[in-house]
Amino acid sequence: MPRSSCNTKRLARLCGAALAALLATGCDGRPNNPDGRVVVRYWDKWSGSEAKAMQEVVDDFNAGQDRIRVEYSSVSQINRKLMLAIGGGNPPDVAGLFGNTLAVYAENNALTPLDKLAAENGVSRDDYIGVFWDICNHRGRLWGLPSAPASLALVWNKKLFREAGLDPDRPPQSIAELEEYNDKLASRDENGRLVGAGLLPSEPGWWPAIWGWWFGGDLWDGERITADSPENIAAMEWIASYPERFGARDLLSFRDGFGNFASPQNAFFTGRVAMVLQGPWIQNFIRDFAPPDFEWGAAPFPSSGPDDEGVTLVETDVLVIPAGAKHPREAFDFIRYVNTQGPMEKLCIAQCKFSPLKEHSPDFLQRHPNPQIGTFLELAKSSHARFVPPLTFWVMYENDMKQAFGKVWTGAASPREALAEVQSRLQAEFERRRARWDRVAAALQEGWNKQP
Amino acid sequence: MTRREKENLRTGLLFISPWIAGFLLLSVYPLVATLYYSLSDYSVLSPAVFVGLENYRNLATDPIFWKSVYNTFFFAAFALPLGLLVSLTLAVLLNFDLPGRGIFRTVFFLPSLMPMVCLAVLWQWMLNGDLGLINNVLRPPLDAVNALFGTNLTPPNWLQEPVYAKWGIIFTALWGVGQAVVIYLAGLQDVPRHLYESAEIDGANFWKKTWHITLPMISPVIYFNLIMGLIGSFQVFAVPYVMTEGGDGPERSLLFMATYLYQNAFDYWSMGYACAIGLVLFLVILGLTLLATGLSARHVHYEGN
Amino acid sequence: MPTASLTRPLKVLLICCLLVSAWAFLAPMLWMLSTSLKPLNETMTLPPVWIPSEIQWRNYPDAIAAMGHFWRYAGNSLFLAIMTVIGTVTSSALAAYGFSRIEWKGRDKVFVILLATMMIPFPVVMVPLYSLFKSLGWIGTFKPLWVPAFLAGAFSVFLLRQFFLTLPKDMAEAARIDGCNELQIFWHIILPLSKPALLVVAIFQFMATWNDFLGPLIYLTEQKDFTLALGLQSFQSQQGGTAWHQLMAASTLVVLPVIVLFFFTQRTFIEGIAATGSKN
Repeated sequence: MPRSSCNTKRLARLCGAALAALLATGCDGRPNNPDGRVVVRYWDKWSGSEAKAMQEVVDDFNAGQDRIRVEYSSVSQINRKLMLAIGGGNPPDVAGLFGNTLAVYAENNALTPLDKLAAENGVSRDDYIGVFWDICNHRGRLWGLPSAPASLALVWNKKLFREAGLDPDRPPQSIAELEEYNDKLASRDENGRLVGAGLLPSEPGWWPAIWGWWFGGDLWDGERITADSPENIAAMEWIASYPERFGARDLLSFRDGFGNFASPQNAFFTGRVAMVLQGPWIQNFIRDFAPPDFEWGAAPFPSSGPDDEGVTLVETDVLVIPAGAKHPREAFDFIRYVNTQGPMEKLCIAQCKFSPLKEHSPDFLQRHPNPQIGTFLELAKSSHARFVPPLTFWVMYENDMKQAFGKVWTGAASPREALAEVQSRLQAEFERRRARWDRVAAALQEGWNKQP
Repeated sequence: MTRREKENLRTGLLFISPWIAGFLLLSVYPLVATLYYSLSDYSVLSPAVFVGLENYRNLATDPIFWKSVYNTFFFAAFALPLGLLVSLTLAVLLNFDLPGRGIFRTVFFLPSLMPMVCLAVLWQWMLNGDLGLINNVLRPPLDAVNALFGTNLTPPNWLQEPVYAKWGIIFTALWGVGQAVVIYLAGLQDVPRHLYESAEIDGANFWKKTWHITLPMISPVIYFNLIMGLIGSFQVFAVPYVMTEGGDGPERSLLFMATYLYQNAFDYWSMGYACAIGLVLFLVILGLTLLATGLSARHVHYEGN
Repeated sequence: MPTASLTRPLKVLLICCLLVSAWAFLAPMLWMLSTSLKPLNETMTLPPVWIPSEIQWRNYPDAIAAMGHFWRYAGNSLFLAIMTVIGTVTSSALAAYGFSRIEWKGRDKVFVILLATMMIPFPVVMVPLYSLFKSLGWIGTFKPLWVPAFLAGAFSVFLLRQFFLTLPKDMAEAARIDGCNELQIFWHIILPLSKPALLVVAIFQFMATWNDFLGPLIYLTEQKDFTLALGLQSFQSQQGGTAWHQLMAASTLVVLPVIVLFFFTQRTFIEGIAATGSKN
């Protein structure tokens, strides 16, 4: 038998070979273009019917030319996943983000600026309802183009209005009137459990930070965070009136019985709440989940004073090209295609949103499945349409506001206290981020000048 | 060193070489890198910029970080001793010569097989304020109390109320103590019978025997479980993450150190800050482990020492 | 503890205690099973029913369909479990042999270092590991999840070393005199004797991989590459908490393989767990 040292060598060789094998498998490529086309990988957040709508647009694009093939995949929690993929150096070529995350992606050097590509292709602000183009710009650059945009309105259940003795065609016009409606629409069962309500700001609670807008407030002024402005405090006091009126635990218990938004148990569709703040997509959910005789209307959300009438949040999904994408030009060809009238209207009709383009085809509103789409569109076009501040820490801001909302909603803190906490933390964060930007801005801008 | 010693050293090192590689790549390098990144402004996409102690200064004044520290200690401070109590009690019960022991042991053990994500989803359902099993068990006795004393007690909405949310997580953790039960039971069965027999001759009752024989004899097992539990509970992440759908619960009551670390690294892109949190977390675990080891030197009884 | 001293009433009392605790441990699992077979509206009735009015098996195929790529998730989990089991068993056995059956200078000191590494929580090292794997181009692939398993996990090495130490020395000595080298002794003598311990390590690794959440969460980016645990979480976050019948069906499907594994290897399993605590 061979001596021990011989065999240690064998062992060493074995280990070495195993390691080499491991490393070799480390650099496999993805199978690519069997038909000679450039494959553009495209991730978006949509699932279900919204994904299907996009898939059809993608199919049209693929069929209409023979140079590029876009491969669409649905990615849940896309904000996190896309960041992981870009950070990991293996991003898709196109991704659909929420417009309000552009700032953080851009300042972290995670996106490809699109100014030159847009100019070459003759795309400009003039093509769009202005506010949507503005959402796509940050620090003087264009980072994406809008896909499906939306604005928010008060959406109400006419049947419940009628049952409560209210005019089903007349939504509340002011916050004061909204509170009257709330009192009329609230109901309890024989055990005293809350079983019906008017508008609950917590349902579905998707925009916990912006209630102050309807009270004349804002979230920042460009220089300072204004979370604790008198207007925002007034809004929070309005929130605080809910637990005072209905009981904090009653409200929580009521809410725990609500189903998921996209289900027949959605509190609005089951008539547990009579009004919600929602976007035009609500029609799709009503079609899929609400009872067949569901009657609803949409109108500007009521405000505290006449100056804030018609205030709305506009937001849009945006198509971006991540930094490190392998085929930015082909990716832009696809984004450009989506931003032409035909495909865009097809997508927006299927997703039940309006088009972000300035011009829509003459019969767009008639073809649109949402009977109220005109209301949403007018809201978006108005000068009171706003979008959330382009701050890199918007996620944190929104999360903090959600926490403040939760504290006030359960009566755990006064509006003033809750907002003061948000203010001090976020103002400090704001200054830190600004210092960071000052540190890196020159280098970033220089890199961005070399865009494709 | 003799030739043989040298050869042994070489062979030994070769045999452990996979571990050495793992140790260098997966432990030493990341720890050193964590230290370096924690002194930098770093977001993966741009190279790390050295900023000195800035991250630590920010940590010291970040109320949310302190909230996560508080929550983590709160969780460990209750989940660990309660877990010890429950698992040890069950093990002692199982150690009696009673019918159906094997079945009981399996029943206690089964929940600990559940993957964290399933555990979280199941308990999110169990703790649902309206429809959950827990509250449906609690409601009848509370209603009885209400009827008797005219009170108005209602069960809490566990995961929606900051005061109760952490207890929801603690119950979830307690439900998974099955592994510890099995380990303690094995420890109990290793205690030599003759010790009990001679104690009985001296007239010792159950509690005396437990206190003077059982506990000292299984103290190494307790120590082992405690250390493992400590390391585990200070990195609690998956259950609250899944239960809150990636958030941090009402009033951040379910924000733990590992959650905050994750959020900073992968939601806020502040990886330098995340590394500073990581280092603090590591030092906390290290400190507590050393403390436990120091205490155990006095109280843990090793056979033969 | 001997029970001769137990009186009959005491015995009954103890059994009652056990029964109550057993119910507390069993009820959630039964509740999961029960919910997974209910029609949706019956998950919402108060007070809840344990036995569904009609057993709705459809929830299972529905949950599988709703999760999207269920079978891919399962395949991914299985692939990772197999790779990590192979990796851990081979590399840890080698390392454990080096830590137990060969006398070399400083061995026990190095072993203490190994034990100390068990104290490093994954979250602490996750950012540097992420950037390490990034520089290898491994983010979005399975590699960060299985390649490290070939680098001997501390816990497995520890378990196997404890076992190897209990094996008698004389057979190995005899083989050495016959001219066998260490690798041959390891392969022909130690490994065959260690099958139960190797099985324990394999089972633990399988469970750890099957259960892992944070690793897949940060390394996997494409939906179709998700593991079952990640897929379940993704399903739950999309559902937001309504389709409890389907969520419970999906959870049951994710737990099922582990339970099956447990029942087939129960003895080894329980003994292995017991061994982790008692042999130090």
